[in-house]
Amino acid sequence: MERRQVLSKSAPYLFLIVPLIIYLIWVVGPMFYSFYLSMTKWDGLSAPVFIGLRNYQKLFKDPVFFVSLKNNLKWVVSFITIPVAAGLGLAMALNRTIPGEKFFKASFYAPMVLSFVVIGLIWSWMYNPAHGLLNQLLRMLRLDSLAIGWLSEKNVVMWAIIVVATWRQVGYVMVLYLAGLQGVDPGLLDASKVDGCSGWQTFRHVIFPLLAPVTVIVVVISIIDSLRAFDLVSVMTRGGPYNSSSVLANFMYIEAFNNYKMGYGAAISVIQFLISVVFIFIYLWRVLQTEMEY
Amino acid sequence: MLKEEGKVKKVLPILMAIVIVLGTVAACTPQTVTVEVPVERTVEVEVEVPVEKTVEVPVEVEVPVEKEIVIYNSYMSDPEPREADAGQVAMFEEKYPNIDVVHSTIAHEDFKQAIRAYLTASTPPDVMTWFAGNRARFFIDKGLIMDVSDVWESEGWNESYPAGFRAMSSVDGKQYFVPASWYWWAVYYRKDIFDQYELEPPETWEEFLQVCETLKENGVTPITIGTKYRWTAAAWFDYLNMRINGPEFHIDLMLGKEKYDDPRVEKIFTDYWAPLIEDGYFIDEPAAYTWQEALQFLIDGDAAMYLMGDFLRDSYPDEEESKLDFFRFPIIDPSVPIGEDAPTDGYFIAASAQHTDAAKELLGFLGSVEAQQYFADQLGRLPTNMEVDTSGFTPMQQQGLELIQGADFVAQFYDRDTTPEMADEGMNGFMEFWDNPDTIGDILARLETVRQEVFESE
Amino acid sequence: MTTRKFFSSPWRTLGFVALLLVTFIWLVPLLTALVTAFRSNDDIMLQGGPFSLPRGIVLTNFQTAWERGGLSRYLPNSFIITLPSLLLTLFLSSLSAYALARFRFRGNRLIFFLYVGGTLLPFQVLMLPVFRLTDALGLYDTFAGLIAIHTAFQLGFCTFLLRNYMRTVPGEIMEAARIDGCGEFRIWWQIMMPLTMPAIAALATLEFTWIFNDYLWAIVLLRNDALKPVTAGLATLQGQYIMDWTVIVAGALLATVPTIFVFLFLQRYFIEGLTLGATKG
Repeated sequence: MERRQVLSKSAPYLFLIVPLIIYLIWVVGPMFYSFYLSMTKWDGLSAPVFIGLRNYQKLFKDPVFFVSLKNNLKWVVSFITIPVAAGLGLAMALNRTIPGEKFFKASFYAPMVLSFVVIGLIWSWMYNPAHGLLNQLLRMLRLDSLAIGWLSEKNVVMWAIIVVATWRQVGYVMVLYLAGLQGVDPGLLDASKVDGCSGWQTFRHVIFPLLAPVTVIVVVISIIDSLRAFDLVSVMTRGGPYNSSSVLANFMYIEAFNNYKMGYGAAISVIQFLISVVFIFIYLWRVLQTEMEY
Repeated sequence: MLKEEGKVKKVLPILMAIVIVLGTVAACTPQTVTVEVPVERTVEVEVEVPVEKTVEVPVEVEVPVEKEIVIYNSYMSDPEPREADAGQVAMFEEKYPNIDVVHSTIAHEDFKQAIRAYLTASTPPDVMTWFAGNRARFFIDKGLIMDVSDVWESEGWNESYPAGFRAMSSVDGKQYFVPASWYWWAVYYRKDIFDQYELEPPETWEEFLQVCETLKENGVTPITIGTKYRWTAAAWFDYLNMRINGPEFHIDLMLGKEKYDDPRVEKIFTDYWAPLIEDGYFIDEPAAYTWQEALQFLIDGDAAMYLMGDFLRDSYPDEEESKLDFFRFPIIDPSVPIGEDAPTDGYFIAASAQHTDAAKELLGFLGSVEAQQYFADQLGRLPTNMEVDTSGFTPMQQQGLELIQGADFVAQFYDRDTTPEMADEGMNGFMEFWDNPDTIGDILARLETVRQEVFESE
Repeated sequence: MTTRKFFSSPWRTLGFVALLLVTFIWLVPLLTALVTAFRSNDDIMLQGGPFSLPRGIVLTNFQTAWERGGLSRYLPNSFIITLPSLLLTLFLSSLSAYALARFRFRGNRLIFFLYVGGTLLPFQVLMLPVFRLTDALGLYDTFAGLIAIHTAFQLGFCTFLLRNYMRTVPGEIMEAARIDGCGEFRIWWQIMMPLTMPAIAALATLEFTWIFNDYLWAIVLLRNDALKPVTAGLATLQGQYIMDWTVIVAGALLATVPTIFVFLFLQRYFIEGLTLGATKG
């Protein structure tokens, strides 16, 4: 009995030891090294030179930084509303036996499966002002004035890219909610029907609260993914036209890998990291406080 | 529930077994490739080769020879260059049977990231492709590239390469780089459309403007361009600057020795470039198209001209290619020397390469007449080695060669002649100007600030 | 519900048609990809762009992508990299998640935030530090180096996700098992894991997709051609100036086949799924 008690107490640590060590070496270590790098001037090839907070000073005077920040925020707002609602809606709609359900589920998940290069390529074609599908349709509907350069107009380009990202994200959220719905006890649903609740009321008062842990995950990843967004911007516009679609990750990439300013790039990443930390940790802290004890 | 548990119980151990097997396979993958040559191989050589070789062979037979390897990483991922590259390697291996080439091709864009890892790894590739100009200098200045002056000397390239190419490969009198192939830039145009409106390829700026006006009157957009990735706009800057202010001023500007807010620079935009945009001689919304997407207008006949490099023909539909021809960018000031953009690719060896001798052999081969002749014949590009026989070149190649040989100066292209950071800001500036030609004053002032930061601080 | 019964309700039929329409619009980009893969580049350019009517069907793009992209060489590599990484990260993160979800102990919150924190950094900034680490450990240009970073990097997200799913399992089950004298490891393996299967299956699908589709880590940590995964091989189809669109699209479609298979195979676990109703409450 004593041995088991001792084992029980140390059980969590035993479970954590191997993963944690790997994680510390391969992720946390390099992470702290990047923090250090953000205070250096480094071209990625010779030795880094320590310069204190100069990179940060430069960053806060850099207009591209602020444009990127605004664009990331646009992305966050879009991601925590549309894909979440649409993904949840689809999961609810498809979580029952309807004809061809596998087809529907696979179709909405499909955008996740294609590489960013191809997605970017095809959507660039769709947005092509002269020959693209979108503008051809608009012209057919006599809406010629709307047939603009979706990726070349600086006020529109960021939203055009966000549309593509959202299109892709919906299937992802749907899959997460579908998995979550598996954990909802059908007995509870029956009980609420017996009590005379309508479909909407059942959803609002029974299902949605039960999906809370999944919603937490979905919100967190939406925020993270929108702050970390890189591939679509890189493939579709590379941050152009002249930085109007720049996002933090793309900005960092150009500075670090194109301009050989790794230190400055690291500083951008650190700021990006800190912003994410603030958003996420505050949210999660509140969630943890209110989590039901099982 | 129990049934599912049972399934899980059965499946997971199998999966773990797979992991272990795969992990072992992965761990056992050899990191370096050394192949021991069985004696029979050298016997083959003996049989095929005439008497002179047998003098060498006994030495090889007595000592069991471990084949040398050289690791060669290339960014020639375009379909045709890639095949030619593989051909070169095959030719080399045939010529040097005791050297194995470990040849890897990496996507062009990705290579620019990977090279950072390559040059600082403890086991780098030995030979790599790279760009001439500032891009190569960047690494040379940091001591990451091997001095190959001895190869230049032993191969006799100091004589067989034009002075310009030798200069571009040297730093402080030592050679680090081997330029191998290059191509020309020119204004490509639709011969049939020109014929339709009785137009001749223009030679002066006035003639050029007239051609544009005629085309426009007849409903054809004179010039197509896709500026999504900005470098196509930089081409216009290069050429206008070289035609108006001369190649020497242009290169000095690239090297940070001249100022961006100099009135001579501003003249390019206000007097020559802005009028083209404002008169509607370019297609609409050029920033929405990649250079390839903008090609569609030329193919459809909606536009008639495209300032572009020769690789444009690789993307042009085969059956339409005969309608294309090119002319030199029009002369603006006849008193100014003629400069042309001719980006050059070549090879170098990592300073920390581990197979130095084999690497130098490969480098020697890649710059030789044999390899370059093959490359030029396969691809229609131009060789750097003057001893290559040009008589077999296609008419286009001959024309291109004449174009460049008739130039007084050859530049590498905006984003290869100046530092990456300056190029990035500069190209953003061109795009901003294209959108708002009136703001050029502010744009140039900003670029000047950047120039000072980049070139004058340490 | 039988199909006929389903369509007997007009509202449901209307809803179904709406769903069908939305799905079709959703799939337009993919259908474009599919059509493009069966055309030749010249055809697209001569007819006026990707949305023009095709002149004819061409089957060679797939073959060209297969050969030029070296798919037969690189596909096994992709699996050698993806499968161990996937299984290792699922295994290790379910261990961590269990500890974090079901035990109160010092450092629980700290470690939890550590895992979450690791997902917040963009991996580009980690690229060079990890490269240096890998090189220093002598793992440059090996599968092991690549598997290590994939496993470690995904640990953060997987642990976070599984922990949350594991919290939805009522504690009484585990208490009952403990009283019966079950060791913690057995509880984890025989009780928690099966109950978390929908989440694990969903996660496995996502992770397979991400690890399989990665290629930037491969570019930085591998030098030798022979070790490249499929995605790096396909990337070489993008040239310096020319993008051979039709071949690239065909290649990308080929590369999705494994991930689609994984999705179809695993989706029964998290979509139709084990109903947990019987064991709960």
